[in-house]
Amino acid sequence: MKDRIEKLIKKHSTECDYLEVHVEETDESRVTFSGDRLDDLGKRTDFGGNVRALHKGGWGFASFNSLDRMDEFAGYAVEQARLVGDGRSELASVDTARDDVSLALERDPREVPLSEKVEKMRAYNEMALGSHDLVVNTSTVYFDRMRALWFANSEGALVRQEKMDLGGAVRPIASRGGDTQMYSASFGSSNDYGAVDGLEGEVAEAAKIAVQKLDAPKVKGGTYSVILDPKLAGVFIHEAFGHLSEGDNVYEDRKLRDIMTFGREFGRPFLNVYDTGLDAGVRGYLVYDDEGVKTEKTYLIREGKLVGRLHSRETAGKMGERPTGNARCLDYRYPPVPRMRNTVIESGEVRFEDMIADIELGVYCISAQGGQTNGEMFTFSSANAYMIRDGKVEEMVRDATLTGNVFETLKNIDAVGNDLEMADGPGGCGKAGQFPLPVTHGSPHIRIRNVVIGGE
Amino acid sequence: MKSIIERAQSGGASRSEVYELQSMSTEVSYEANKLKGVSRTEERGVALRVVKDGRLGFSTSTKLDDPKAIAEAALATAEFGERTTFEFAGKARMPDVPTSDEKLAGLGLDDMVERPRNAIARLLDYDEEVLCDSDTERKTQTISVVTSDGLESSYERTLYRFSVGARLIEGTSILDCNAYYGGSSLDSDGSKLVARVIEDLKNGRKNAPVKGGPTTVLLTPNAVADVFMTLHYGVSGSIVERGISPLAGKLGEAVFDERISIYDDGLARGGYATAPFDDEGVPMQKTPVVEKGVLKHYLTDLRTAAKLEQPLTGNGARTKRLVMTKDLGKVPSPDITNWEMTGGDTSRDDLVSDMSEGIIVDRIMGILMSNLLAGDFSGNVALGFKVQNGKIRGRVKDTMIAGNIYKLLRDKVVAVSSDVERVGLLGFVGSHRYPYLLLSDVSVSA
Repeated sequence: MKDRIEKLIKKHSTECDYLEVHVEETDESRVTFSGDRLDDLGKRTDFGGNVRALHKGGWGFASFNSLDRMDEFAGYAVEQARLVGDGRSELASVDTARDDVSLALERDPREVPLSEKVEKMRAYNEMALGSHDLVVNTSTVYFDRMRALWFANSEGALVRQEKMDLGGAVRPIASRGGDTQMYSASFGSSNDYGAVDGLEGEVAEAAKIAVQKLDAPKVKGGTYSVILDPKLAGVFIHEAFGHLSEGDNVYEDRKLRDIMTFGREFGRPFLNVYDTGLDAGVRGYLVYDDEGVKTEKTYLIREGKLVGRLHSRETAGKMGERPTGNARCLDYRYPPVPRMRNTVIESGEVRFEDMIADIELGVYCISAQGGQTNGEMFTFSSANAYMIRDGKVEEMVRDATLTGNVFETLKNIDAVGNDLEMADGPGGCGKAGQFPLPVTHGSPHIRIRNVVIGGE
Repeated sequence: MKSIIERAQSGGASRSEVYELQSMSTEVSYEANKLKGVSRTEERGVALRVVKDGRLGFSTSTKLDDPKAIAEAALATAEFGERTTFEFAGKARMPDVPTSDEKLAGLGLDDMVERPRNAIARLLDYDEEVLCDSDTERKTQTISVVTSDGLESSYERTLYRFSVGARLIEGTSILDCNAYYGGSSLDSDGSKLVARVIEDLKNGRKNAPVKGGPTTVLLTPNAVADVFMTLHYGVSGSIVERGISPLAGKLGEAVFDERISIYDDGLARGGYATAPFDDEGVPMQKTPVVEKGVLKHYLTDLRTAAKLEQPLTGNGARTKRLVMTKDLGKVPSPDITNWEMTGGDTSRDDLVSDMSEGIIVDRIMGILMSNLLAGDFSGNVALGFKVQNGKIRGRVKDTMIAGNIYKLLRDKVVAVSSDVERVGLLGFVGSHRYPYLLLSDVSVSA
């Protein structure tokens, strides 16, 4: 493979400013239960590659399934780049990587027979179904994906990387009189099949909460002081700030660049946020990004001030900033764009008891249903919530969807807890049609003032 | 494909089904008013389902040189697979529906570069401060289904997507307006989309404060598409079968206001999801979902039709949910095709001029995170306008909207517009046609 790729690059690299080749093979196993039915038990093999060429600032990209087409498609990529380019190619310079990254696994899912994976998930699934009369159905998902990737470019980089991605969830669904409520117990890992073990307590808890939600009133819409648990706070920072930090949102937009200058105050002095590829074991772990750039821990906010951005080589080059190893693609069908890895609010000093003590009326929002942003505004939903009254956690409420504005809401974080946790699940991040990309979030509990919650 | 079936049958399968997808697409993208890149994607793969000893197995592969491995993988999973309760599709008479457009198939790269360039030039004419993005995609696909029960069908289709968006920044206020077109044939020149973006930019320049509380809301066709995601679940055969749809057991009952009629039309002319047969080889059709408020059909695939003892509607899909693209890796399950809601009596403009106070909602952000199964939706109004005394007063920001579709469509419908428009929303491109929907007492928080 190595020779074939290097030969191809040699042949075409004189025709453009920069050329790179990706080839990958992925084997996936998947187990899905819907209620008592084994919905999807499948094996998937995906093989393919792409060639990406840059010429005078214009990109050409061509992807294929068969290696026999690689040469022909390299020709297309170069031709397209030459058609597009009429400016200057600006890629930030990086160390030329020549490396072979093998997996270092705790327990290898390839050594676990498929039957064992099915039985493991079936046991959780049956546990959820049997937990309560009102739990009428479930969605139970497990997947593992083993990937081998080759990357090479015309600067001489050549990286072979093995990756593992594993995730899933057991989701009891409670239903009564046309009303349906659910809650999840999730897991994820990049190095250990063992992530599926020992979820019994969480599954039982998820079933209990799903049933309780049937009786919980909807939250009343309005503006509240809120406390987010570590899982939801992680999704919050991903949506509220992570996406706006991605270099491709900013680099061509002069006005946004003026707003997003380093040093600008986004939060209070105790707010620190970073994105990292270095946390072994989490789904957002990454050694090299899809441009062959070594990943790192990148601070985005330090002591409340903007200090960093997530870059591809191009966005870094055009902004005159340091590349950070954030260029990622979902698979060989897509070109890499700046994406997050594991995005984290650093631990602070406030204990949960102190955080809640002076809230007269507020909402304690727990775990995430998801989140979305359009740059300036963002929204995210909790999977479970409780009212806070006079400093105490009181009755359960449901459907708490929160919204915020990146230029205001981060400043309204007035307490950061001391209990950082990382969270992984079966989902992922979506951008530019590339979904779901494995990412992780982490945070301690945080308190935010004046948050708009939608509700009836 | 036949060699895979043969391998599977000789390996012990009693029945087999192969689905093959071949796809070639070209995409031209503009970023910040400039041509940024051209890409070309070729994809070819198969998905195999087998029944062995009464149990179902499944495998997919894009490595087509090894039919043996594909068959073996499916047979291996069949060992622990679910007991089958349905048969794969047999021979059938497929409807004659156009899915290819010669003009589109022949669309040259020059044209694909020129069209967005013109659209962006017109937006810059309106305001030289805007930053525009645009994507143009042309796709040709061949989709085939072969079963051991004698089905051997295939069709070709062309698909076209065009989007244009413009961003204006004022202080730290960001206004993004965009419009999408999609379908199996080429649109005109995109000038409708440009006009739409310019109108939104005009209306959105100024922000207008709103009060929270029960509010009169005019949902645009885009917003209708957003909140109707709840119904996609509600009428899905698999959600009904699982006993978690609010519409389970309600066939033939009046579930909505009598002005609500909704059709799933797999044969809609030019629709993005239009095809002669679904991804299990079942003929597609136009299915009444709700007619004059009465629930008529659930949407089914082979399995759920058998299980629910309901008619086959040709909705067995291997699609990535919400983006309408075929996904080999998906096990077939019921999904919508092209939806159409019947229009009412009053024009959109009259509905707006009759509003004394309310908001127009065009884009809702975060709806996917709502409890869609229960019909609940909640999200940030990403693009919406305040109306007072029949006039648009400015953009609504930092505002949430929430409701339950089953309650709103039953009790809170004020009017349905006579204008019915193609939805221009990422994810639903070219598949749905909806009117504007005026609702009372929708919960708004600000």
